[in-house]
Amino acid sequence: MSLLDKLRAVVGQAHVLTGVELSRYVIEGRTPEAAVLPGSVDEVAAIVAHAMETGVPIVPWGGGSAIGVGAPPARAGLVLVLTRLDALVEHEPGDLTATAQAGITIAALQAALRARGQWLSLDPSDAARATLGGVLAANASGPRRHLYGTARDLLIGVTVVTADGAVVHGGGKVVKNVAGYDLPKLFVGSFGTLGVIVEATVKLRPLPDAERLVAVRFERLQDAGVALRNLLGSDLIPNAVDLLDGPSAGALGLPAAPATLAVGFDGLGEQVDWQVAELATVVVRCGGAKPAPLAAETWARLASASRDAFDTPAAVMTLSVLPAVVAETMEHGAQTARKRGLMSAWCAHAGVGHLTATLCADAPRPDPAPIAAVLEEWRAAARAGGGHASVTWAPLPVKSALPVWDEAGAAGRLMKRIKAQLDPNNLLNPGRFVGGV
Amino acid sequence: MATLTETRKPALRRELEAIVGTSGVLSEPDELLVYESDGLTLFRALADFIVFPTSAEQVAAVVRLANREGIPFVARGAGTGLAGGCLPTEGGLVISMMRMNRVLEVDYDNQIAVVEPGLVNLHLSWAVGPRGFYYAPDPSSQQACTIGGNIATNSGGPHTLKYGVTVNHVLGLEVVMPDGEIVWLGGKTRDALGYDLPGVFVGSEGTFGIATKIVVRILKKPQAVKTVLAVFERIEQASVAVSAIIARGLVPAAVEMIDQLTIQAVEDAFGCGYPRDAAAALLIELDGLVVGMDTQAERIVAACREAGAREVRTAADETQRQLLWKGRKSAFGAYGRVSPAYMVMDGVIPRTRLPYVIGRVNEIVAAHGLRVGNVFHAGDGNLHPNILYDPRKPGEEARVMAAGAEIMKVCAEVGGSISGEHGIGIEKADFMPFIFSAADLALMQRLKDAFNPRGLCNPGKVFPTRKSCVEIGPVAYRPHAIETQGLAQRF
Ligand SMILES: Cc1cc2nc3c(=O)[nH]c(=O)nc-3n(C[C@H](O)[C@H](O)[C@H](O)COP(=O)(O)OP(=O)(O)OC[C@H]3O[C@@H](n4cnc5c(N)ncnc54)[C@H](O)[C@@H]3O)c2cc1C
Repeated sequence: MSLLDKLRAVVGQAHVLTGVELSRYVIEGRTPEAAVLPGSVDEVAAIVAHAMETGVPIVPWGGGSAIGVGAPPARAGLVLVLTRLDALVEHEPGDLTATAQAGITIAALQAALRARGQWLSLDPSDAARATLGGVLAANASGPRRHLYGTARDLLIGVTVVTADGAVVHGGGKVVKNVAGYDLPKLFVGSFGTLGVIVEATVKLRPLPDAERLVAVRFERLQDAGVALRNLLGSDLIPNAVDLLDGPSAGALGLPAAPATLAVGFDGLGEQVDWQVAELATVVVRCGGAKPAPLAAETWARLASASRDAFDTPAAVMTLSVLPAVVAETMEHGAQTARKRGLMSAWCAHAGVGHLTATLCADAPRPDPAPIAAVLEEWRAAARAGGGHASVTWAPLPVKSALPVWDEAGAAGRLMKRIKAQLDPNNLLNPGRFVGGV
Repeated sequence: MATLTETRKPALRRELEAIVGTSGVLSEPDELLVYESDGLTLFRALADFIVFPTSAEQVAAVVRLANREGIPFVARGAGTGLAGGCLPTEGGLVISMMRMNRVLEVDYDNQIAVVEPGLVNLHLSWAVGPRGFYYAPDPSSQQACTIGGNIATNSGGPHTLKYGVTVNHVLGLEVVMPDGEIVWLGGKTRDALGYDLPGVFVGSEGTFGIATKIVVRILKKPQAVKTVLAVFERIEQASVAVSAIIARGLVPAAVEMIDQLTIQAVEDAFGCGYPRDAAAALLIELDGLVVGMDTQAERIVAACREAGAREVRTAADETQRQLLWKGRKSAFGAYGRVSPAYMVMDGVIPRTRLPYVIGRVNEIVAAHGLRVGNVFHAGDGNLHPNILYDPRKPGEEARVMAAGAEIMKVCAEVGGSISGEHGIGIEKADFMPFIFSAADLALMQRLKDAFNPRGLCNPGKVFPTRKSCVEIGPVAYRPHAIETQGLAQRF
């Protein structure tokens, strides 16, 4: 039996896609050999086992919203689509935990939780498309990570299908647990290279009584930087502290001031009111305007503001730096781009030092050389401050002009050893991640 | 594994001294005895040498020497662990981190500190306290235990409910790998590049290498704190109240439960103002902004009353608050008055199963003819049944162990875990199959092989046991030094 026949036997004819049906599953210009849509965890295990026998690489696929992240695959192999595994398996409000299958979209999960007064405090962009498994694998996050952390802080249990087709559990469904190694941490941000996440148990939070997002405009980026520092050192407990440059603010439909701080608060109504008033006194002292309320829809667009600033971006980079240098990183980064005749847009979850920068060239087929040069300079700046920077989206010519991921040094060798232990035949998303794993 | 012959030892001692200095090596039998166990005195194992390095380079040199000789080694912090995690089960070297105890750097703007692993947990909060900051994870042993031990066991504490456990506060580590290479995992920024190696290292119980520098987050102290005591006629009501509080959309900083046996022991000993006739009490703490504190406290009171609390009172001032916490924190000292010894368990269950599991714990212990005091992190569902016993009575220790294993099984059956904060170490290694399948354990083993392929770094821990020279019993329980000094209690 051919691999395709075996797959059809596992999931049924209708759930194995080939030929023209594969157009949605093209990765960086490469068409996979087939896409298969399992309907159960056992089916996932059987598919992985069959693919391993035949030596065909597997690309786990959730909503596809982050599938372009990483080095281009050498061979697309078999796309394993998890969207049929979309059940909310268990939600016990008194335990503040929920277990769901990997293919449920973040939007669907949040809607079900909200109906019972709770939420998963993770707010990546593209919630209608992004799946729980994909968000965990890509370690995607949003503005509220400022207070509530990222997937590593919320994932307490995980079920994965490993490269040998075994169904393995890590962690559990209790909020505190030190039994054995912390496998959930291993799979967060592993981009499908160590196993296929099929089910996850997460910590939840109660919905707050009230929440508000406000914008503070500054005439100079460096003033916003000072305000940011004072805000973080104050008694206030914001749930989001984002910083936008002019183009990014413009993308959100705000006045394109040189710098805008978008600050969120949640809690009791009286706490939100008091904090917004207090914020005004903190920022006005540093040259900020009076906080102006933002529409609730703005929340979901904050994380992608810099991407949305341009119709045809030339590259997107994510930089991790210390919070105190966010404003100057933006300022110098924009200058670096301008010097090479490129435009850039910047937004940041500033309180945690997470920046996204988008480059744009004024040409339909821009020369990759200056684009790569700017990205390299941005990376050098992030590294100089003890951080790192990776390209999260770019056309192939740019991706071949510089390493997509930053250099992980000695830790990268350890990552390779982990990869070799868990996926000895190198068939799970091969070659796409840090250090070539 | 190579065993050191007596003739080989003097030469090895000279080599160790060349690395850490003559005052940095112990090998006399009476000196080694001091390091034969940790806070769980049920288990004992003797090392060949105790070494005291003062830098990462020295740690690396010692580890390379151990590799050359093929002898095992294990890092040790303050030795307050409660699972036998730092015991040299197969002999070899104990590498004490106690001379590496400095705060290397504090960056208030970015709210991080870089510390050495031998730093005592509370000393970090002292160091940053004057500027209005603190280090959040607060194990009860925080006056003695080290940050290195905390990261190895992923320690928690009463305030973990709101602020998370150790791993939620660690950004990066400098590690001497089991082969002696010095590697940084993560760094000072919030997101690590690639796999979350700091996240995986934390909680690995000393089996993935030795941390020599640790980057942790420090937090601003909250503006306000409010402490509430809720008193119940029946322990089930207190258990129900825990979920009721959570279901009302409240996340207190801490929710601790104290049962009747414990209340009475505490009142006899210290008189902290807990009602002696209560079946259980909840100690609930809120923290955060001044604004809204009263509203939140009202909601807590309402949830407790609805669950059947006969009395709910709020600490009027800091003195009253301290007294209530003293009741919670001095439970150990108090048990000493009602029993010569006790063994603390560390199971976790979904909070909603508290009423059932507490009932089962009490039944199990009674069926073994023993008594149990419960005082624990109820908000997290992290149980600490303290089984009271007399080590001088033949057979009693074995019954404690049997009851403990049954309690662990109950935790597993309701979908819980066999350890919430103390770790697996040697103590619970054989319980691992209660909650993990062979495939789960095989994956963990492969992860371990990536870090520690020769298995020389802290062998005999976490996984269901192989042969080792650990001794158990007969007169096992001895209070840890920090308990006898009244510095901490064991939960
Ligand atoms: C009275 C009492 C109360 C307690 N209360 C709590 C509590 O509330 N919450 C809680 O979580 N625990 C509690 N504990 C358990 C214990 O204090 C913690 O596990 C603590 O983290 C151990 O720290 P330590 O420095 O004593 O480590 P040790 O006991 O010396 O070692 C513990 C483990 O850490 C490893 N280790 C030590 N240093 C390093 C390093 N630098 N690199 C790598 N591995 C290392 C050791 O090999 C060992 O596996 C309590 C213990 C006692 C005695």
